[in-house]
Amino acid sequence: MPEAARQWPEGAASRVPYWVYSDPEIYARELERIFYGPHWSYVALEAEVPEPGDYRTTAIGERPLIVVRGDDGEVAVLENRCCHRGVKLCQDRGGRAKELVCPYHQWVYDLKGHLVGVPFVRGVKRQGGMPADFRQGDHGLRPLRVECVNGVIWATFDETAPSFRDYLGPRMFRHYERVYSGRPLKVLGYNRQHIPANWKLMMENIKDPYHAGLLHVFFVTFGLFRADQKSAVEMDDSGRHGILISRRGEQVKNEVTATMRNFQGDLKLEDPRILDVVQEFPGEETVGMITVFPSVILQQQVNSLSTRQILPKGPDGFDFVWTHFGYADESEEMTRRRLRQANLFGPAGLVSADDGEVIEFSQQGLGPYGERDALVAMGGHEVGNTDYMVTETAIRGLYRYYREVMGL
Amino acid sequence: MSALPSNLPARPVAGREELQLFYDLYNEALDDLALERWPLFFTADCLYRITARENWEAGLPLSTLVCESRGMMNDRVVGWRRTMTYAPRAYRRFQSGLRVVEATAEAVRVRSNFLVVQVLIDKPAEVAFVGVAHDRLVRDGDDLRLAERICVLDSEMLPNSLIYPI
Repeated sequence: MPEAARQWPEGAASRVPYWVYSDPEIYARELERIFYGPHWSYVALEAEVPEPGDYRTTAIGERPLIVVRGDDGEVAVLENRCCHRGVKLCQDRGGRAKELVCPYHQWVYDLKGHLVGVPFVRGVKRQGGMPADFRQGDHGLRPLRVECVNGVIWATFDETAPSFRDYLGPRMFRHYERVYSGRPLKVLGYNRQHIPANWKLMMENIKDPYHAGLLHVFFVTFGLFRADQKSAVEMDDSGRHGILISRRGEQVKNEVTATMRNFQGDLKLEDPRILDVVQEFPGEETVGMITVFPSVILQQQVNSLSTRQILPKGPDGFDFVWTHFGYADESEEMTRRRLRQANLFGPAGLVSADDGEVIEFSQQGLGPYGERDALVAMGGHEVGNTDYMVTETAIRGLYRYYREVMGL
Repeated sequence: MSALPSNLPARPVAGREELQLFYDLYNEALDDLALERWPLFFTADCLYRITARENWEAGLPLSTLVCESRGMMNDRVVGWRRTMTYAPRAYRRFQSGLRVVEATAEAVRVRSNFLVVQVLIDKPAEVAFVGVAHDRLVRDGDDLRLAERICVLDSEMLPNSLIYPI
């Protein structure tokens, strides 16, 4: 779409133009200013690289990265790109290594990314080789800024970003510490799906409690998430991060379920172990869904814990990587409970499959209508924390910040 | 313990021909979206799992989908029919490489490859899921049934959703 045609619609905060979901120039600017800009992105859990030499491959935006624990026990996040000719040198998901070697010309790096070996650097028989001005120490795998915060590894390309704690802000950091308290984590496994929809639609989905009480019939039917349950929507001061908080109730029929066209009040589970929920965190809340802009959703849904990493792949698709985890010292029974409840989530989830499908439907509808705009006025036109669910305030918060960082 | 004298070879739970018929009926029922028949191919206390190869090989216990009983399978069927939202689609399953790994009088272990082609409305057919199934079948009364089926996906990046079973 030509730049002149890209006008943010009247009524600013409660309108989102569809071109933000499909325009390639906007997408390129998002990568530059958001993913590669002064924002912290999720890259891995510390439990995935517990020992020196352990590494995992991951990405921020579209840029491939290596997360590796050095011999000194510190975690480095390195560009997965040989400084010689740009080869993505680590091709596997992870493993253990003493050094990192590029397969093309066998340039060798230590676990901090320092270049420690260049074959034939002085040539062969005094012929060829690197020129006299080549300084090996000037080259390496470029490291990102890294912070390990209570078991989660965060990274940014930008030297000017504030500390991770300041990036989240005090209110969101308090919510973060609920699940990520410093208690050691253990990985339970992964799910990966490619969702053919703009990455922001996934962020919006988790900032939108209005849909959860309507789309997710399973949730509502069994009382896990219903529009009349005590709940809250909170954001950091910028509006870019958010949390949905709720508490589960019982299976009931009332005016709320009567409004839901496809409510299934007569349903009964034959094997109710999937809903064998225990209260494990302080307080009465059973749901805490955090969106950390721009890269991840931190899920606490009853006893199911996961990180959901967003890896954008062009304006109309993203990879969605689910890492389920528990605590290293928990009982086997608790782990089994988490694994059972994981049935609700992921690409085959009784609840989450709804989201992947419906945001694909969103892209199908809004993609070809770039000049139209979305209405996000549930709960008013303002941005602010609420203690109720029928609101789109956190989506408005997201776009208030988005316009600022994108210059739109 | 087999009731047969130890000097006679144990009669396995099922021969290859019966196994092939069993799987043909299984895949046919699912391809035809006769979802209510799916749990009947399993024992009451069965285990059904779909998981990614990266989990399987690393010994990580997470499943993309897991049912720990026929009751849980029936609950899934209700999910597909009544609670879940997804685009209409057809899956067609192609099984190959069926091999009896172990056969005793109590159970037969079978592995086979699966390939599931997905067709969405107005979209070309695509290979959606490919991998290997590790099965254990038993005699349940007169019927041959799956006591365990673990589908391990080579195709770890799923094309959005995995709705119906493999």
